[in-house]
Amino acid sequence: MDDTAQRLLGSATRLSRDPETEIDWHAPIGDGFGMSPEWSTLYGTPYWDELTEAQQRELTRHESASVATTGIWFELILQQLVLRDVYDKPPRSAEFQWALTEIADECRHSIMFARATERMVEPSYRPRLLTRELGRMFKTVATGESAYAAILVAEEVLDVMQRDWMRDRRVEPLVRQVNHIHVVEESRHMVFAREETRERLAGAGRGRRWVSALVIAIAADTIVSSMVGREVYANVGLDADRAVREARRNEHHRSLLRTSCANLMDFLGSVGLLTPAASRVYRRTGLL
Amino acid sequence: MSYAISGECCSDASCVAVCPMNSIHPSPGEPGFGTGVSLFIDPRTCIDCGACADICPVDAAQPADQAATEDVERNAEYFAGQEPLEATDLDSWEPPSYQVWGGGPRRVLVVGAGPAGMYATRELLLRTTAEVTLVDRLDQVGGLVRYGVAPDHPSTKQIVQVFERILHHRRVRWMPGTDARELPGVAAGGSSGARRGPVDGFDAVIHAVGARRSRRLGIPGEDAACTAEDFVAWYNGRPGAVAPAELAGPRAVIVGNGNVALDVARILLSDERRLRGMDAPLDVKRRLAASGIKEVVLLGRRGPQDAAYTESALQELRSAVGDRVQLRHHARPTAWTSEGLTLDSGESIAAGNLFTAVGFEGRPIDGLPFDPDRGIVPNVRGAVVDRPGHYVAGWIKRGARGGIGVNKACAQETVLTLVSSSRVPASPGS
Ligand SMILES: Cc1cc2nc3c(=O)[nH]c(=O)nc-3n(C[C@H](O)[C@H](O)[C@H](O)COP(=O)(O)OP(=O)(O)OC[C@H]3O[C@@H](n4cnc5c(N)ncnc54)[C@H](O)[C@@H]3O)c2cc1C
Ligand code: SF4
Ligand code: SF4
Repeated sequence: MDDTAQRLLGSATRLSRDPETEIDWHAPIGDGFGMSPEWSTLYGTPYWDELTEAQQRELTRHESASVATTGIWFELILQQLVLRDVYDKPPRSAEFQWALTEIADECRHSIMFARATERMVEPSYRPRLLTRELGRMFKTVATGESAYAAILVAEEVLDVMQRDWMRDRRVEPLVRQVNHIHVVEESRHMVFAREETRERLAGAGRGRRWVSALVIAIAADTIVSSMVGREVYANVGLDADRAVREARRNEHHRSLLRTSCANLMDFLGSVGLLTPAASRVYRRTGLL
Repeated sequence: MSYAISGECCSDASCVAVCPMNSIHPSPGEPGFGTGVSLFIDPRTCIDCGACADICPVDAAQPADQAATEDVERNAEYFAGQEPLEATDLDSWEPPSYQVWGGGPRRVLVVGAGPAGMYATRELLLRTTAEVTLVDRLDQVGGLVRYGVAPDHPSTKQIVQVFERILHHRRVRWMPGTDARELPGVAAGGSSGARRGPVDGFDAVIHAVGARRSRRLGIPGEDAACTAEDFVAWYNGRPGAVAPAELAGPRAVIVGNGNVALDVARILLSDERRLRGMDAPLDVKRRLAASGIKEVVLLGRRGPQDAAYTESALQELRSAVGDRVQLRHHARPTAWTSEGLTLDSGESIAAGNLFTAVGFEGRPIDGLPFDPDRGIVPNVRGAVVDRPGHYVAGWIKRGARGGIGVNKACAQETVLTLVSSSRVPASPGS
């Protein structure tokens, strides 16, 4: 573990990014998409086809802001999980120092996402109260592999979307830049989370694995389903009921999610966290 | 420091998708992808995040300080003379491409559980909601990865574990030990060979049956030689494989200039230490150890610049067996007898065994058209010509070229063709 942490620390020295100075926060915002249109929850549905291009663009900007807000929410949880986990570790260890580096990264990312969404859209988004309360509980009780694998799930789902958006010339340059910064630093975090998950699971009995697998799957479900809520559609002036209904049945979106989460599912499978109960949850969420 | 990719790489490009710095090339779509067997990391832009190593299914990506010096050099060399790509200039990246869900088929039959069939199955699970029936005449998944890839390359064989996990998916029905020709409905041809439309009970069939039959030299005495097909099946313990007649030292001749010829040479010359570490049947190891083969002559028809083997495979052979392997170029065999091999120059090379590794070819599939020159089923991006509902993937689609991972992009193309032939709205609306 210390070897991995040492390498990651070295990598952070090689390239860490400071959104404060790297991004020109005063540059004018254009009228690009907020995300690749194909990633919109409505893309491919009859409702999407009825929208004008301007409406489609506006919708993606709101969806992207909402997703970023879910990112912030999760990064807060993550910071607390990591802090609690290293509380007893010796400060001189690479693992400890890497953990604090990660918290510092997350802290900068959250500020960056907050500022970017403020520039992109008018309303401010937040996960629903129930989701926030679940998060509050999770960050106080989760430990070991449940904590790290949940971090992994959240970041990986976000990561795959952002990799697409950052390369997409149709997407607003600010979003692309913000996403690349996140992707670079997150790839280190995911390496770490995988390593921690593997390590914590070594020697775990079947009962514990079963429980952890389920907890992680439920966390994944909560995160994915809170990314874009009905107020997003309402704010863009759509019929929220219809939008929610069509989005929920959008097979294109589900197949995009499934494809993007394939590596993640491979990993969970390889460490024995795809138990039948957990798989059922992932199938419902559309990740498997 | 940076990371580096070793010769064990099977170029499935998993690492390309996770590298945050666009440091790994050639990526799918770039010239050179799928022709060699390895990808490379640009040490000038790699930031050591380790994401590539984390995702690599065969442990080919490694930190440079743990990799072999030759590998580190090979990686750096690949980029010599090219400007480093500036990853923060996002326009230097390939734009994303999207596949739009197309309604898709409900039931698909995949024939062959080699890399192509397994990648196709995985892609179907991801892109569609179809139920996939997967058959293989063998009892195990993996195809040539299990029964072709040399047993002293255990990391390469690890990809089988990824394939095995696919079998556990709820929408997969796995039927091992089933020859597709015996399935009712698939035993299509036979009769008129003019079937139109897919097999009964399925919306589509993907034939991923590979191409493992050895090409022939066409010289007198060849029947007494051992083909690569038989030899690799034997040393990998394929059920039903026939052992070579007798391994007689001190010299063997191998005709062929690809990585398979190099595999055969390496295995024949394996010392005791190498044999011990091999995951091969006991009897195979015993016979190899007792063969008395001390020297191998590799014959190529053309010059070294035309050789089909990769640089890393040659390096590995050299470091494993030193000067006990001799490379001969511009040599054409004309006849094989128990005395040895006669060349077109009139010269004769005395040897106890002749091995032929001059490539592989597919066999015709009942009911489908076949191109005997290329040894493939003629197709357009995976769709078999004139046979709606029938698709091909892997070696039977492209010919016997390319490493394991290349079949991933190949199978993806086929599934895309299959799915986009049936496009409907992604949500039924309301
Ligand atoms: C000797 C050798 C060594 C190699 N070493 C390497 C290496 O080190 N690294 C690398 O990257 N690549 C290597 N390759 C290449 C790699 O093996 C191929 O790219 C890959 O296996 C091709 O995949 P495929 O699925 O098309 O065919 P195959 O792997 O041949 O799979 C075809 C499957 O179909 C099944 N099948 C055939 N007919 C039927 C039927 N009628 N009914 C049911 N099932 C059927 C077969 O049993 C088999 O399982 C090697 C190839 C060979 C020949
Ligand atoms: S095997 Fe795949 S993941 Fe590993 S280095 Fe090669 S291309 Fe990358
Ligand atoms: S270590 Fe990271 S930056 Fe370097 S090649 Fe691998 S994934 Fe890319």
